[in-house]
Amino acid sequence: MVRYYSETEVITLIEDLSPPRLKAYLSARIVHPVTTPQGLGYRDADLARLQLLCDLSEAYDLPEDALQMVMSLVDQLNTARGDLRALMRAVSSEPDEVRRRIQACLRDERG
Amino acid sequence: MSGDPYAALGLARTASEAEIKAAYRKIAKADHPDLNPDPAAAERFKAAARAYDLLKDPEQRRRFDAGEIDMQGQERPQRRSYREQAEAAGHPYARGYGFESDPDLSDVFADLFGRRGGPQGGGHDFHMRGQDYRFGLEVDFLTAARGGKTRISLPEGGDLEVAIPRGVRDGQTIRLRGKGGAGMGQGGAGDAYLTVSVAPHPDFRREGDDILVVLPIGLDEAVLGGKVAVPTIDGPVNMTIPKGASSGRRLRLRGRGINGGDQQVELRIVMPPKVDDELAAFFEEWRGRHGYDPRARPKAGG
Repeated sequence: MVRYYSETEVITLIEDLSPPRLKAYLSARIVHPVTTPQGLGYRDADLARLQLLCDLSEAYDLPEDALQMVMSLVDQLNTARGDLRALMRAVSSEPDEVRRRIQACLRDERG
Repeated sequence: MSGDPYAALGLARTASEAEIKAAYRKIAKADHPDLNPDPAAAERFKAAARAYDLLKDPEQRRRFDAGEIDMQGQERPQRRSYREQAEAAGHPYARGYGFESDPDLSDVFADLFGRRGGPQGGGHDFHMRGQDYRFGLEVDFLTAARGGKTRISLPEGGDLEVAIPRGVRDGQTIRLRGKGGAGMGQGGAGDAYLTVSVAPHPDFRREGDDILVVLPIGLDEAVLGGKVAVPTIDGPVNMTIPKGASSGRRLRLRGRGINGGDQQVELRIVMPPKVDDELAAFFEEWRGRHGYDPRARPKAGG
C-alpha cells in the first residue's frame, strides 16, 4: 500500500524544507502530491524530490521557473537512464551471437 | 571518512560562517549525487553535508571546537536519493525524453517501453485527462436536508462554489464534472469528487426521508391537549397535541420531511421544575378516586 505523508510530516522529515518553500514548489507545480480526504498526501517519490529541490535551492538559489526546467531535465535523464538500464539488462541475457550483432550495430552508429 | 568537518569542507578552523556556506555550496554543486553519477562524488557530498550540518549551527560548532562533541551523532537522517527512485519503473515523475515523437523510432520505442504517462509525462503531442481530485466535505444537517450552497478551498489555492443537493446523505459522493486537475494537450480536465459527511443536529435526526424530533410537552399539555409550535427543517409549525397523550407517542407531520418524507414527532412529558403543594394535594385527592396502573398490560388470551 502507498504510504502518504502529511504536509507537517514532510516538513519535519526534510530539514531544509520550510512551509513557504513547500508552498512555492506547489504553486510552481514542481511537486504533485496526491489529494486525499485528509489533505495533500506526499509519497516517497515526492519526499525524495523535495529533498533534491531543497538541495538545488540551497546550492544555486534558483528561481522556481529555472528549478522547474532543471527538474524536467533531471526527470528526462532519470527516465532515460532507467530505460537504458533495463535495455542493457535485456541485452546481457541474450546469446553471444545476438549481443555481437547489437555491438556491431552500435559501433557503426556511435563509433 | 575523517572525523574532521573542516577537512570535509576543505577549510581551516578559522573559517567564517560565510566561508563554510560557500564551501558547502561549492561541493554540493560539483558532487551532488543527483547531478554527478560518480560514486566518489557522492561520498564527498555526504561528508560535506554532514560537516555542514554540524558547522552551520554556531553553538554546535563551538561545542565541536571545544572538544565537547565529535562527528558522531551527527549522522543525518537517511538522505533520500531521488535518482535511485526516479530511475525505477512506474515513477510518478517519469518523463518522456524524445522518442515518443520520433518518426522512425517511436514504434520501436513504444514496443520496448510501452506508453509512459505519469501526470507530468512530457512530449509535444501528449494528451492526458487531468487528475481527479477527491475531497471530504462536512455539511451541516440543515444544509444537507434542505440543499444549499457551500464553498470549498482547492489544493492549489482558490475556492469553488458547490451546490449541495436537497436531501444529500451522509457518505454520499458529489461529482463535480471538470473541476479536477487541468488536462494535458487535448485531454479534458479531471473531476472533483466530494464525499459528504453530515454533521449531527441537536434536535433533528434523520430516518430515510423522515425527520425525527423529540418534543417535550408539559403535564398540563399532556392532560388537556393543545396547540404547540414544533421545529421542522423549514421552520416552526403549529401542531395539535391530542388530549391525554403519553410519552413516546409519535405524531406525524405529513410532507415536512425530506423530499416528500414526513416529520415524526415523539412526545416526551416533562414534569414542572418543582412539584408544589397545590399539585401534590390535587393528585393525592385524585389518586384516591381515579387511581390507575400505568404498567398494566392487556391480558394475554386464556
